[in-house]
Amino acid sequence: MPGRVRQIPLKNPDRPYLAIGLEGSANKFGAGVIRHREDGSTVVLSNIRHTYITPPGEGFQPRDTALHHREWALKIINECLVKANVSMHDVDCICFTKGPGMGAPLQSVALVARTLSLLFDKPLIGVNHCVGHIEMGREVTGAQNPVVLYVSGGNTQVIAYSRQCYRIFGETLDIAVGNCLDRFARVIDLSNDPAPGYNIEQEAKKGKRLLTLPYATKGMDVSFSGILTAVEAYTFDKRFRADGQPRNPDDQDIITPADLCFSLQETIYAMLVEITERAMAHIGSKEILIVGGVGCNERLQEMMSIMAKEREGKVFAMDESFCIDNGIMIAQAGLLSFRMGFETPLSKSTTTQR
Amino acid sequence: MQSYQLPHFPTHLSCVHTALYTDVSESDLLRKRLITASTAEGSTGERERDAVNFAFIEARLITSVEHLRTAVYQAVLAAAQGGLRTKTVHSEIIWALNPSNNISEAMRRYGVSDTTASLVVVRIGGPELLAEDVERDMDAAIKGIKAPFARLEDLTDWTAVKKYHKLGNEVGIREVKDNPERERAVVDGIVVSSVAMKSVMG
Amino acid sequence: MASASLNLISGATLISQGAEAKVYKARLTSEPSDPAVLLKHRFRKGYRHPTLDGSLTRARVAGEARALLKCLRAGVNVPGLRMVDAVEGVLGIEWIDGQSVRKLLPGGAGEDEDGASEDDPEDADSLNEYDIPVDILMQLIGQEIAKMHLADVIHGDLTTSNMMLRHPSSFKSRHPTLSTELVLIDFGLSFHSSLIEDKAVDLYVLERAFSSTHPDSEPLFASVLTAYEQRMGKDWTAIGRRLDDVRLRGRKRSMVG
Repeated sequence: MPGRVRQIPLKNPDRPYLAIGLEGSANKFGAGVIRHREDGSTVVLSNIRHTYITPPGEGFQPRDTALHHREWALKIINECLVKANVSMHDVDCICFTKGPGMGAPLQSVALVARTLSLLFDKPLIGVNHCVGHIEMGREVTGAQNPVVLYVSGGNTQVIAYSRQCYRIFGETLDIAVGNCLDRFARVIDLSNDPAPGYNIEQEAKKGKRLLTLPYATKGMDVSFSGILTAVEAYTFDKRFRADGQPRNPDDQDIITPADLCFSLQETIYAMLVEITERAMAHIGSKEILIVGGVGCNERLQEMMSIMAKEREGKVFAMDESFCIDNGIMIAQAGLLSFRMGFETPLSKSTTTQR
Repeated sequence: MQSYQLPHFPTHLSCVHTALYTDVSESDLLRKRLITASTAEGSTGERERDAVNFAFIEARLITSVEHLRTAVYQAVLAAAQGGLRTKTVHSEIIWALNPSNNISEAMRRYGVSDTTASLVVVRIGGPELLAEDVERDMDAAIKGIKAPFARLEDLTDWTAVKKYHKLGNEVGIREVKDNPERERAVVDGIVVSSVAMKSVMG
Repeated sequence: MASASLNLISGATLISQGAEAKVYKARLTSEPSDPAVLLKHRFRKGYRHPTLDGSLTRARVAGEARALLKCLRAGVNVPGLRMVDAVEGVLGIEWIDGQSVRKLLPGGAGEDEDGASEDDPEDADSLNEYDIPVDILMQLIGQEIAKMHLADVIHGDLTTSNMMLRHPSSFKSRHPTLSTELVLIDFGLSFHSSLIEDKAVDLYVLERAFSSTHPDSEPLFASVLTAYEQRMGKDWTAIGRRLDDVRLRGRKRSMVG
């Protein structure tokens, strides 16, 4: 089982190191420049991203997303270098997301990375997207040995570092939690701007009624597809009012989109907190790190803190600039690998959807 | 008669008095008396109900003291939670013993019948209820010989128990059919567990 | 006033605390002669919506109780049920005097949590106390799991910690030469399934538990499987094949990419 050997502490660098990271595994293109100083500290010089936003009721298609990344890559990379006040000649390595993610967008970004590598004669570093999230999380929060809940549009995993590997203790058996939220947002025509999950969260604050949805945990794994089907089914219930308004003063027994958002959040976040707790009990950790786009959700963070408090533990959550996919996390994880002597030869600079 | 406490329950449910009677006669009259008492009106009715305020249980269907105590426990728990499915905590014990949710079937099988020859009698109450008074009332209500609970196992009708719990064809029973002593232990284990979990059998 | 079950717990001795539940030893009545019971309390989770928490707790208590009864009826050695309070999330089960298999096998006593040092010095070789050779113990494990799988119950968390040997002094053996009995415990993650995949994964989980807890235990687990195979009969072929598949892919994917 290949994993990354954690040498703690990695020796402080003999000189400052500089890396640029390019991320585009889903609908965000991001670039970031990071510096590792001689004293072991890390500075984020710039972290810029552009999101491909689709109209309400639509998701992002691989082809269109790849086009978006191609269109924005050079603009963002330039902006990123200017903001960092460095030139491409200064960087030690070019880091890019190898996977997992959507094939076409990943390839379009890998192509940019390869081109830059050849143009400027810089080594390439392929980075696992999940490891990127985790390493950035550890860097930002200072968590030592956390159980990591990685929740995004494409991933739902409970990860912990055990026996020299990042190991997946629990994961989704079907769709990712963010995917479940995004798809439900489409069902009730919520806006995709700034993000469907954000809009569900706002809507849920108005919800009052907890509707019964399947609660699908199995050991340390979870499943969301049945929940998505069940919550969609409520929109065909004769009590459902798409505008959230009663038809007349007697119309009290109604289900509103806000109720559905509320019920959906309460159910799926309870499941995620539960499997996280189980992993904590399993490895005896008291730290939790939440990463990935869904990690921005305040209700999830709140529930996680209650659980942590009950266990006398601590939650590390991050602000959205690092939670949501970004280039800097790729730069961070990539630069750590580079300093460990790792490099991705051009011939191996492929991408993988898994 | 044996008395014990359930100290963590509300006081009016915390004392349990149990007795075993063998060679019971006139059980048909007892059964009729119970029916009449349940519907009688006025102060006579009150008095009658008081006189037979017990759970009268068919002893041949009780496999062990643990079986009985488990049914008592679950009935008292239901009473304490306001979750009785029957009218009283005493009828609830009988309901708890029967594998199905059918109340009249429970009374028919596990309650007193015209052919009942041995009876387990239970009274739930508070500490103000004196054991000697309970015993006197029990003796007054039942024509039979009081026996120690150690006699229970001689009275058990294992064929009927297996039938009511549909155990005839279970792997766990078939495996031990050559060893009667072991078979009884296995049946008792299943029966006690069934009573304990009846509230969540679904 | 607190509920009866919470009163009961407040007077009970805490044995262990997991993510799901706290486990206590208690007596249900005032009678000292009444056997002790093990109480498993699925306590309230503050992070969950109270309605959701209540219905989940109820469903899980019911599920665990049903799995135990199903096992009992199928002749699997499991603890019997003594009380169920689904409202408060309390399950009372038979107290088993004995020792977990984990502590009886080499390597298992190492990271002990509840102080085995207090036990008598014979503890080091306590399989003697149970008068059972290791290969027979492995057979018992294989047999019990097979009986459970034949009843379509999947344990969900098979480890050597979740198996116990009854102490010879506390138990009347039905076996001519054995003075103990293997009991499967903790059905908190169990579920009903007839799928080959679920049975294979159940075995794989145990295999991993053996290798991570007991050094050089490959031959031990092999004899567990042999006994399992014998008991499963014709069902084994498909499960065995699937077990090989599960081993290859690993239950959990590693992070490559």
